[in-house]
Amino acid sequence: MTQFPDLTSFSLEAVLTILGMAAVTYGMRLGGLLMADRLPQHGRWAHVLERLPGAVLISVWVPSALSAGAIGIAGAAATVITMALARNLFAAMAVGMVLVGVGRYFIGN
Amino acid sequence: MSRPGPAQVGHFDPDTIRRGALACLPLLPSTIIFGAVLGVLAAQRGLSLGELLFMSLTVFAGSAQFVSVDLWRETVPSATIIIATAVINMRYILIGASLRPVFRGRPLWVKITGMHMVADENWAVTMTQKDLANPGFLLGGGIFLGVVWATGNTVGYLLGGGIPDPEVYALDFAFTAVFAALTIGMWKGMVDLSPWIAAAIGSVIGHYTLPGTWSILAGAGAGVLVAALTWREDMDDDSLEAEFAVEGRDAYGAQEGAAVTETAMETGK
Repeated sequence: MTQFPDLTSFSLEAVLTILGMAAVTYGMRLGGLLMADRLPQHGRWAHVLERLPGAVLISVWVPSALSAGAIGIAGAAATVITMALARNLFAAMAVGMVLVGVGRYFIGN
Repeated sequence: MSRPGPAQVGHFDPDTIRRGALACLPLLPSTIIFGAVLGVLAAQRGLSLGELLFMSLTVFAGSAQFVSVDLWRETVPSATIIIATAVINMRYILIGASLRPVFRGRPLWVKITGMHMVADENWAVTMTQKDLANPGFLLGGGIFLGVVWATGNTVGYLLGGGIPDPEVYALDFAFTAVFAALTIGMWKGMVDLSPWIAAAIGSVIGHYTLPGTWSILAGAGAGVLVAALTWREDMDDDSLEAEFAVEGRDAYGAQEGAAVTETAMETGK
């Protein structure tokens, strides 16, 4: 903490590593879209593709709610219910986060 | 009869970009704090601030960046870091695929420029927009999150510590909350029920049996599999309107003719 932070040095290996990370990430983003463009617009594949965003989204948050423990599950449930009733993203997030914050403060994890 | 196609809203219309940015506003506090935590970690691992910001704006993927910066050493283990990034970000293949309706009918250059600033958060917000899902909306959210993320990185890097613990204010839970809430907006009817249950079960099993973010792929894979198995010919009628309409017009997979006109009339066009 005594030395001034290193702001602008760019080492070659760092830049190349970061470019490699960026290339694989961007390649998968664009590649997924271009692959989907080649899938049929009707029938089974189109149906599967329509279910995909919900399936991905659920797979992102369900495990993280579980690993946040009982309070995480309660917070996620409160968020989902608030969203279903109020259809307001701010409100739904606020209810879930306040519940989790207060729960952790009083109960711990 | 050709598609009833009033001119599409521009590819990257400034007003749409602004709305996309505003839609990601609820994510500001948690994004800035996690950005700052990454900044602190990067300073400890010996990245320069310039290198960190370069990474944040070219890779633009939070969880992969956390793992990569954590793996960072004086001699950078490049291959390990790039492979870890590829594994963690594999979900972007699915996310990219699911963006097909947002980019429907757009030229290739729009896809090439629009697909970079795609994080889980602005993707989810965009996918749940009823009528204004548009590459500009997606990009607006991406730019907003990128600026906030990089600002957080800079603050954390310069402070070198003293960042509030995200857990205390439940800011770590913000990401769970936003994705949970947005799931509601993705509900298109009973056809979603069994794939969603499969995704939940698959991701939970994956969470306990697989390392890292493989649980996302396990859950999505289970959901896709069940969706493919439960598909029937007569579902196609449903899916015409179930798929959200881009700008309230071109229903996903809609054939030219009556169905399109009906959908278009319902949305008031």
